Amino acid sequence: MSCILVVDDEPVVLDGCEATLTKTGYEVETTLNAEEALDKIEAGRYDAIVTDLKLPGLSGIQLLKIVKDKEPETDIIMITGYATVQTAVEAMKLGAFDYISKPFTPDELRSVVDRAIERRRLLREERLRATKNRVAFEYNMPADLYYLPEHSWVKVVTENTVDIGIDDVFQKTIGVITDIKIPSKDTIIEQGNPCAEIYGAAGRVYKLLAPVNGQIAEVNELLKKDSSLLNSDPYGKGWIARIRTSDFAKELANLLSGDAMIRWWLRREIVERKTDRYVQISALNPNFKHEIAREPGGENIKVCFGCGICTATCPVREIDSKYNPRKIIRMALLGMKERILKSDFIWLCSTCYACTERCPQDVKFTNIVNAIKNIAVKEGYTHPVFTAQVDLLAKHGRLYEIDEFDNRRREKLGLPKLWTGEGSAAKIFETSGLLDILKK
Amino acid sequence: MKYALFLGCTAPTKARNYELSTRRVAEAIGIELIDLPEFECCGFPVKSVHYESFILIAARNLIAAEDAGLNICVLCSACAGTLVEVSRYLASNDKARQKVLSKLGKEDGKYGFAQNIKVKHLIRILHEDLGSEKISSKIKRKLSGITVAPHYGCHYLKPSDIYDNYDDSENPHSLDELIEITAAKSIDYLEKEHCCGAGVLAINEDIALSIAQKKLDSVKVSGADAIVLMCPFCGAMYDENQKRIGTKFQTSYNLPVLYYPQLLGLALGINRKLLGFNLNKVKADSLLERIETKSMQNEQCKFSS
Ligand code: SF4
Ligand code: SF4
Repeated sequence: MSCILVVDDEPVVLDGCEATLTKTGYEVETTLNAEEALDKIEAGRYDAIVTDLKLPGLSGIQLLKIVKDKEPETDIIMITGYATVQTAVEAMKLGAFDYISKPFTPDELRSVVDRAIERRRLLREERLRATKNRVAFEYNMPADLYYLPEHSWVKVVTENTVDIGIDDVFQKTIGVITDIKIPSKDTIIEQGNPCAEIYGAAGRVYKLLAPVNGQIAEVNELLKKDSSLLNSDPYGKGWIARIRTSDFAKELANLLSGDAMIRWWLRREIVERKTDRYVQISALNPNFKHEIAREPGGENIKVCFGCGICTATCPVREIDSKYNPRKIIRMALLGMKERILKSDFIWLCSTCYACTERCPQDVKFTNIVNAIKNIAVKEGYTHPVFTAQVDLLAKHGRLYEIDEFDNRRREKLGLPKLWTGEGSAAKIFETSGLLDILKK
Repeated sequence: MKYALFLGCTAPTKARNYELSTRRVAEAIGIELIDLPEFECCGFPVKSVHYESFILIAARNLIAAEDAGLNICVLCSACAGTLVEVSRYLASNDKARQKVLSKLGKEDGKYGFAQNIKVKHLIRILHEDLGSEKISSKIKRKLSGITVAPHYGCHYLKPSDIYDNYDDSENPHSLDELIEITAAKSIDYLEKEHCCGAGVLAINEDIALSIAQKKLDSVKVSGADAIVLMCPFCGAMYDENQKRIGTKFQTSYNLPVLYYPQLLGLALGINRKLLGFNLNKVKADSLLERIETKSMQNEQCKFSS
């Protein structure tokens, strides 16, 4: 049974957390301050720690720093009030697993703790497997390479040439790779656009996005003959192609060194404070993910682990890089509510369900984006196309009006007449309150 | 075999060739299709806007079928997905069902949704309920020598969790099998499972046309004589917009786009006019002539032997 330590100076919060987590099946210990928590941690092992940010004596942040220093793998969840969201973000930079804002519901607490425990379980399993099979630990991205977050890597060979390949996160998420189609020598590739097709189990096809601009100088012929090298040695013999780059120094700005994806997000959007393109910290709304999770279809948002399969699969992303499912989820989890709701891109999903079918976590991104759109509408950000469609439905019961002229044509073709007139949608919209929502 | 025919918004206005050929084929193979005056839009367009309205609109249609005691045959894949999803949701969620019925002024306890009626896409009915043997027994003209590229689209099999493992959403075969009943050859091609882009057409035409272009390119390379499909949205992308896509990407496809009942109708010996071929935007005349010439040759062979 996993053991959770809860630290808060309010006994009523401790009691609530204990009751919720015990009911979920966890063993729970509680303490009123950080000093006592450290003693407990010294004496025992906890699978996760839930701590208030504001504590008498040592603060939650100081507790986080000490624990992360000693036991970096222990996941720590911060409890915060609205006023301390910025500190909570700081805490995440220091390695906190996530944060929840007061007041929170039992479900919200359960969900965040479950995620932390699940991650820990997976890590343990992976470790075990790695030791048994004597292979490298999973998601082992060599530090001397650069990565496009969409799972391709770059290794600098000379000043103007690089090798490219796929990272092991991608490979391990899709399972065994059965084949790869690489364009021929001299083909021009563009950073962020598809440059190879990878075939997974059951014939699934994934597009690999090029990490750099340039021209293919050489293709790994060995890999063409033996695609299993992508599984066994993705950073070595499994390289895909050698590229003559055009402006690598500039493209480097879009690549990352071998760090976890979430760190990249935090660095880019919070640490570097690229507020011109990204959101201000003060505009983060940590409850946004919970709000989405409460909408029909949004339930699974919090189990996304950012693998990017959805992005690699999305036909819209293939055409327009502005649309990026994984990025939308990351933004939502970070609480960038206003920026998401005001954006044009949430309306670009073609509802093809490819992401939903292939997501290893059963997040159901198609439904998530629908839930987000439903929230956008309630907050007054409806796309005009949808307003027009609701209007048509209210008038005709269908998206296209059918009149007597149409019916005469239908009869001429040998088709039965269809009803004409108002239909019942207007009444339904009145009952459901949609017309009032749209008037807002 | 009797079904309520759910046309949705697009088939009766933008894809009358689909509706026509469906009705003629149904008559020929013994499926009785009933038109219910209560059927309107399925609710799909409001799913992105207001989930509750989406459920209510879909439920209203389902109730009409339940009142008539009929299972539903759907032509549009998006309508099929919507009605299947909502009928399952309301059958398994008592609270939601009670709320919906009360909002629609209907008595609780009378309606079971998926427990009482089945909603199926036309293609699934042909493949699963009728089956190849029954359809084969009605074939009058073999379409051998014709090669077609099947397009499944997205909502016919996805999201797979609402379709009870019918077919395989990643490696589908039902449409291929139905095509082969006619003796036409169904080919595999790159981008076979690719989306048509119609879902985003009204929002961003550039993206939608670029998505559709991918498949048209692949089908062209495959050498198929035509695309065969089963959804009026997909039809709008590949047939109605084919010329625009060609102009946008400076190419010419001239690739006929047939709804499956049009193809099956030819094999059943139904006159091409009755199958609505004159309504296809990309004319299929030369393909039809090839089929007719071949069938005349076969007839002559029969007489001379
Ligand atoms: S939604 Fe699924 S596929 Fe997309 S990043 Fe999250 S876990 Fe991966
Ligand atoms: S459902 Fe939307 S987000 Fe998912 S792959 Fe299709 S277009 Fe992309």
